[in-house]
Amino acid sequence: MNDMRLFERAAAVDGVKIRAQGVNVHYGAAHALKDVSVDIGDRLVTAFIGPSGCGKSTFLRCLNRMNDTIPAARVTGTIALDGQDIYDRRVDPVQLRAKVGMVFQKPNPFPKSIYDNVAYGPKIHGLAKNRAELDEIVEKALRRAALWTEAKDRLQSPGTGLSGGQQQRLCIARAIATEPEVLLMDEPCSALDPIATAQVEELIDELKQNYSVVIVTHSMQQAARVSQRTAFFHLGNLVEYGETGQIFTNPSDPRTESYISGRIG
Amino acid sequence: MTDLPAAGAIPVTPSPSRSILETDARTRARNRAEARFRAYGLGALLVGLIFLVLLLGSILWNGMGAFTQTQVTLPIELLESELDPEGTRDPAVIGEVSTFGYNDLIEASLARVVADAGVQTELDAGDLTDILSSGAAAQLREAVLADPSLVGQTVTFDLLAASRVDGYVKGRVTRESLADDRNLSPVHLDVVDQLRDAGFVSRGLNLDFITGADASEKRPEEAGIGVAMIGSFYMMLVVLGLSLPLGVAASIYLEEFAPKNRLTDLIEVNIANLAAVPSIVYGILGLAVFIQFAHLPQSAPLVGGLVLTLLTLPTIIIATRASLKAVPPSIRDAALGVGASKMQAVFHHVLPLAVPGIMTGTIIGMAHALGETAPLLLIGMVGFVASNYPGGVVEGFTSPNSAMPAQIYEWAKRADPAFYERAWGGIIVLLVFLLLMNLAAVLVRRRFERRW
Repeated sequence: MNDMRLFERAAAVDGVKIRAQGVNVHYGAAHALKDVSVDIGDRLVTAFIGPSGCGKSTFLRCLNRMNDTIPAARVTGTIALDGQDIYDRRVDPVQLRAKVGMVFQKPNPFPKSIYDNVAYGPKIHGLAKNRAELDEIVEKALRRAALWTEAKDRLQSPGTGLSGGQQQRLCIARAIATEPEVLLMDEPCSALDPIATAQVEELIDELKQNYSVVIVTHSMQQAARVSQRTAFFHLGNLVEYGETGQIFTNPSDPRTESYISGRIG
Repeated sequence: MTDLPAAGAIPVTPSPSRSILETDARTRARNRAEARFRAYGLGALLVGLIFLVLLLGSILWNGMGAFTQTQVTLPIELLESELDPEGTRDPAVIGEVSTFGYNDLIEASLARVVADAGVQTELDAGDLTDILSSGAAAQLREAVLADPSLVGQTVTFDLLAASRVDGYVKGRVTRESLADDRNLSPVHLDVVDQLRDAGFVSRGLNLDFITGADASEKRPEEAGIGVAMIGSFYMMLVVLGLSLPLGVAASIYLEEFAPKNRLTDLIEVNIANLAAVPSIVYGILGLAVFIQFAHLPQSAPLVGGLVLTLLTLPTIIIATRASLKAVPPSIRDAALGVGASKMQAVFHHVLPLAVPGIMTGTIIGMAHALGETAPLLLIGMVGFVASNYPGGVVEGFTSPNSAMPAQIYEWAKRADPAFYERAWGGIIVLLVFLLLMNLAAVLVRRRFERRW
């Protein structure tokens, strides 16, 4: 973490990719997320930080409607992707998730070969017309996920046989193989060792060339290292949202300051 | 962190009040309790094992006899004058001779053999044939009809001995037990002893027991379980063909798609309850619905299969749901996360991982159905003498038949102790099938089990 550079960090915002306004989430009787409004910029990394149970993962899962799979969850408010409400009745969540990919906390490759893991998304979305094109997509995704050199000789061996860090990069390759516009990452490094974490972080930094990346993390150092924008959640509220440099060096809310200095959370 | 005292000032803890080298009373009591518990567990296991050994031992002891049968080897002169006076060798003409015609040939042959072997007996030729099965003539007739060129020759046949003679050779029947027997007298046994010494009476492997049909009460020596086996086979086809797709579809819907509300809760509870419903209840349900209402043929494997399907469905649904539940949710998340639809997630990722559990559940359910007797009682698959092989696949489903457990029950309730031996033998055959199915379940699990 290089505090000195935080101020210089470029936050050249191309535009707003996702605009969330007044989002509330209820799990049954529990009010998990209270009136959250966030603009997520295109082609930059946005980090969500906050103590456990603060609603950051819940909010992340709202962005590609993964909360739909939880029967008790109820989402209100609007979340617009490129100006279109993703909770509109006409939106098929399956189509949405092809545009908004997700990487989970625990590496969860399919119990299939490395090749099939990456090829699955393009296959079901019909992105490849033939085997050669599919091969190309798989290679490109693995290269971008920095896994190609390690995996190219064992594409047919099971994805579950890789190390934890490799598995997570495989999951990232799987997510970017479908050419999403937004990549959501739910604590992608929490199960990884520092070396694998560094590799994934490097990868995230490169991914922002093409995607808008949203990352939930427990590690404030990680948020400071990889993100341009940071949102701090506490007890279901969005406490503060701004440029990462400003949040970490000059937070305006006392709760943010307490959290990043280690007094709460 | 400055909680540590200054370096070098770490106080030495006073010597412990109790030495860890000697166990205190409390620890000793705990150790004793554990030892007692282990002894109980081991004892329970041992009792179970003893019963298992006793059970298997008694089944084998009582049942192995059914797999061998006593035969009387007789050279029989197939007289042309009796069987085919015109010399046509036409099976239709030969077929006009009933079994009575063959009885005379057997009687003559037996009398000759007895005389040649120098057997001393006061029995006349007519009484002597009592040592042979009453089905022996039919056996002879079938052989001749199958090959008319045998007529006019002297052919050596292995004819079945009467069940009492078979029992005597196997040690079940004694001279004392024959004292009040109207079928056979101790004098016959003297003849059997002498013929046995002369090599005419022997005990051989009885494949007919496995492949043959049931026989009437008078001829236990001819009874086999083969036709009932075919009945069971067709029933299992119905069970597999219906309960696997229905059960798996119902489980996938309930587990992956159904909304979680009061109605689905109710359905779940009821499926669990259905698994515990006594099987005879399914039998009476099958009688009312399939036979009295739908007018399906009585005693048919089709109806038996339908009833057993009802019985197996809850087992398969419970096993399938358990194995679907065991697939980690992260796999579903992963599939949905790359934009798979719910159905794609289930069919591409969840179901393949659940297959070993589903197959195991199905095989166990089928094994359960294979051994089920009570529901068959009510739809008429018991008491029917399964004496004919079904003519074809359709007939296999619709013509009256029995099933292995029903056949065993049928034999067990007949009076002649020779049938009792058949029942035990049938149990061995049934157990072999169950064992094979359980082995298949284990192998399937081994073969398909995958890590994730």
